[in-house]
Amino acid sequence: MNRYQFEDLISEYIENELSLAKRKKFEAYLKANPDSAKLVNAIKDNIDRLNQMEALKTSESFNERLLEKIENHNFTIDKDQVKNMIFGLTPGYATLMMGFVVTFIFISLQLLMPKVDNQKIKNVHLTDNGTPAITNPSINHGIDQDQDMVHALDDSTKTDSTIRLKKDFSKKIQFVND
Amino acid sequence: MKQNSYNSLAMSLDKKSTFLYTDEQLIGRFQAGDERAYVELVNRYKDRLFNFIFPFFGDVEQSEDVVQDTMLRLYEKKHYYKEIAKFSTWIYTIARNLANTELRKRKRRKTTYLSQMSKEERQYDIPAIQDDVDQDLQNEFMRNRINQAIDALPDHFKTVIILRDIQELSYDDISNIVEVPLGTIKSRINRARLQLQAELQDLK
Repeated sequence: MNRYQFEDLISEYIENELSLAKRKKFEAYLKANPDSAKLVNAIKDNIDRLNQMEALKTSESFNERLLEKIENHNFTIDKDQVKNMIFGLTPGYATLMMGFVVTFIFISLQLLMPKVDNQKIKNVHLTDNGTPAITNPSINHGIDQDQDMVHALDDSTKTDSTIRLKKDFSKKIQFVND
Repeated sequence: MKQNSYNSLAMSLDKKSTFLYTDEQLIGRFQAGDERAYVELVNRYKDRLFNFIFPFFGDVEQSEDVVQDTMLRLYEKKHYYKEIAKFSTWIYTIARNLANTELRKRKRRKTTYLSQMSKEERQYDIPAIQDDVDQDLQNEFMRNRINQAIDALPDHFKTVIILRDIQELSYDDISNIVEVPLGTIKSRINRARLQLQAELQDLK
């Protein structure tokens, strides 16, 4: 055991917290180093002195002044209000927080939910004789509604390229410089 | 309503305590609205906290102010106490935090205190020891000498030595109050005792 190890163990030795093996080593060091034994005794004496120190007392007027402070203190949160707290929040703040939460959920739903056109889904696609169509309604639906695509289908079935429909995009395309 | 509460508190402060409850039971009763329980807690802790705070300030009035602020905080924030910790730990922690805040303010003001004086300057109030000196005077001398030695310690040593060797709190409680791991507290107390001995080595 060296000096540093000895100093680290002084309090544990004084308070009887050392294991038997460490205690034996510690006491062997004390025997070999009389100055160390003096140091341990001096620390023990100091602890006794501190334990025996007369406790100080607050002044007679302590309670009186405390009462005055309580009387004059403007408490930030009324004690009755604290009793009514919801999740650690006053009712006002709780309502405000609830409003924020509801708004947040509403906005989140608006952003996350895909736009579905219910009107289109509800359309029943019928054949010419009035029976429901077997083909995929969504595909049919798209084709039926888009005139350009109808023309495209027409075009693909005709081999004569001269008959192809000339489309007029003049009203749909505008150049910036124009 | 507030005046009635104040009157009942004032009346109960004058009466001798008859409570046999634990601290935790008392704070529970105070939380339920029994202000006599508050008075009992004040009477139980005002001197203990004062003895804890005083060595940091060395001034009765300032130390009492910190203890009063602690008691005011207890009155105001009673519902914040939860019985997961000992009441003593909670109140000591409040006192320590308030004392630290006040000490920081004082340091900013850069006032000279006893701890900042040189050893030679601090000798001014130590009486000469004579063989026939009165026992009371000797005790007074000893107390002053120990207070000066404690005062010379760094704050983190001062705190633990007061809590352990004067207030006789357990290592666990000190660890909770100072919010430092148990092993660090043990080591800190050991080093504080060594440093205190170095300060008091002239005492026999």
